[in-house]
Amino acid sequence: MLLLQLLINGVQVGALYALIAVGFSLIFGSTRIFHFAHGSAFTIAAYVFYDLVSIEQIHWLIAVLGASVAAVLFGLVLNRFVYVPIQKHEGSFFTVFVASFGVGIIVQNLCGMLFGRAFVAVNSPLSQSMELLPGLYVAPLSGIAIIIAVVFFVGLQLFLSRTHTGMAMRALSENPELVRAYGLSPRRLSMTVFALGSFLAVPAALLSAAGSGLNPAIGHHVMLISLAATIVGGVGSLRGAACAGVLLGLAENLSLAWFEPQWSEAITFIVLFLFILFRPSGFFGRVTAS
Amino acid sequence: MIKFSKAITAGVLACTLAASAAAHAADVTIGALFPLSGPNGSYGDIFGSGVNLAVEHINADNLLGGKLSIQYEDSQALPQAGVIGMNKLVNVQKVPYVLSAFTGVSKAISTIATRTKTVAVNGGGVGPDLAELGQYFWNMIPLANYEVRAIIPYLVNERKMKNFVLVYVDDPLGQAIKKEMEAALPTAGGKLLEALSVPATAQQFGGIAARVRAANPDVIYVASYGSQQSQIVKQFRDNGIKQQFASYTAFSIPQINAQSEAVGSLYTSQDIGWESQDSVTKRFVDDYKKKYNRMPTAYIANYYNCVRLFGLLAQQLIKKGLPVTGENLLKQRLETKTFDMVGGQVVFAENGTVSMPIQINEIDGRGGKVVRAAGK
Repeated sequence: MLLLQLLINGVQVGALYALIAVGFSLIFGSTRIFHFAHGSAFTIAAYVFYDLVSIEQIHWLIAVLGASVAAVLFGLVLNRFVYVPIQKHEGSFFTVFVASFGVGIIVQNLCGMLFGRAFVAVNSPLSQSMELLPGLYVAPLSGIAIIIAVVFFVGLQLFLSRTHTGMAMRALSENPELVRAYGLSPRRLSMTVFALGSFLAVPAALLSAAGSGLNPAIGHHVMLISLAATIVGGVGSLRGAACAGVLLGLAENLSLAWFEPQWSEAITFIVLFLFILFRPSGFFGRVTAS
Repeated sequence: MIKFSKAITAGVLACTLAASAAAHAADVTIGALFPLSGPNGSYGDIFGSGVNLAVEHINADNLLGGKLSIQYEDSQALPQAGVIGMNKLVNVQKVPYVLSAFTGVSKAISTIATRTKTVAVNGGGVGPDLAELGQYFWNMIPLANYEVRAIIPYLVNERKMKNFVLVYVDDPLGQAIKKEMEAALPTAGGKLLEALSVPATAQQFGGIAARVRAANPDVIYVASYGSQQSQIVKQFRDNGIKQQFASYTAFSIPQINAQSEAVGSLYTSQDIGWESQDSVTKRFVDDYKKKYNRMPTAYIANYYNCVRLFGLLAQQLIKKGLPVTGENLLKQRLETKTFDMVGGQVVFAENGTVSMPIQINEIDGRGGKVVRAAGK
């Protein structure tokens, strides 16, 4: 029963990781911007949701909308006023990364100042587990997390493969010059990518606010997982990032059946290390020759 | 004539500077190495509220003849950041006295304190090793070994809870508590079923809850701190764990006392008679309530006491005409022996740690209650 419980927990955590990782992978894959502040979009969405629901006592649907707007605005503003100017001055990949990292620290401190540095959570009966079988406890939030992850992922795949904007976004990662030749604006497409990528962090943020709770530093952990999932899944592959997110969640939880909890986070990076060693292109990444 | 007026101007300037220097001769800065950011940043606010009130009182009483100020550095509750902050305080600010917090940070900075003869005083970390960090490291808080030894007999004998699971953060504090539980539980007639270590950065505890449930203990002792202990309590309760929670002073912070999932949890803390009518305690409690509109906690009193201790020692040194250095502060502490502090008279043991009675508290959702007074 312990194994089954850990398997269910692993799928739930993995679904959240997949949602976060897909957003990061979409941005990184399309724009080649190492958007370290993706974790901050997650933090902002989670805290706005917490503030609207728990402090302002606003209906949760409006709070979801508010959190989504906040995360998307953050992504757009960051791209327009930080990344675009740096790229205009031909700033290196590393410059963009440092700027993004700095924004992450600023957001963490701002959240601490605005909402306090203590642990907070959105109280919801959905986070409370029910005993389905003797010794097997599952919270409604677990099912919701899995359903949302599947819906978002399928929706994203359809958007990228069936719409002109989606196809242009995919083309952006391949050849920005060609996109320009077709009369499309790479900058405008980048804005769409940032809006969509930041929006993808919202469901995981809301589920975390109700499930595991929040603190201003939560974005760093999110970012580590996103990065690991992007590499394990294959850079630029959304399918790979989603599968890797689930794999990491499963590995983290199933390892508890045999190892000390101390090792559960390390397992994530052992998986990452093994992929870098034996399959550097990840699950679905393409092998490129330099 | 021009030369004469220049000489007068220079003289006036020199006198002004000298007067200004004399006016600030006794201005003193001390350091505080607290987590001001990261998952344990809330502790910085809590500790700082006690420190700032003590500074206000010392300056209002003109205890030092000059102004006392605090230079805060962010340790993030991490040893590496703590060492950087300590180096800055000691080498750049040249402070003689540093307030420290968290076992890992305190252990990391203790060597710098000894090497530079700077007094470091801890009011929050409770790892038993902190009693052995040299004569320049003092503890204004009873350490975890006393807390564990106080709660285990209570749970085993009075609450008839014999089977324990320990969930501990993998750092010097958690390891020290594990060691203490392994030693104390069999003696008291209890049993440690599982000791589950978690990394300090872990935030998901659903899987660990499954392990705890499988062990089926009577008590879950949580040896963590900050946001993580709140997350453990919430996620364990959400995952169907109904057993008793127990912990140490870390559970005394407002955030966990306000958490609905933590209601019923038992934790140890030092006994501070908040109702005491001695002038130091009464002034502290009254002014704290006036300023923050809530009751202080043991941590806040400890850091108030840490700063007050500095004020009392420095006052003695200034009276004797001695410079306020770490070396002189240590000599003065050894000479003075007892100090009037919040909670009563305080005596330091030879290892620089105060001994205080321990009480057992219960979180009741209404500010907490004492379920077993100290010394019973």
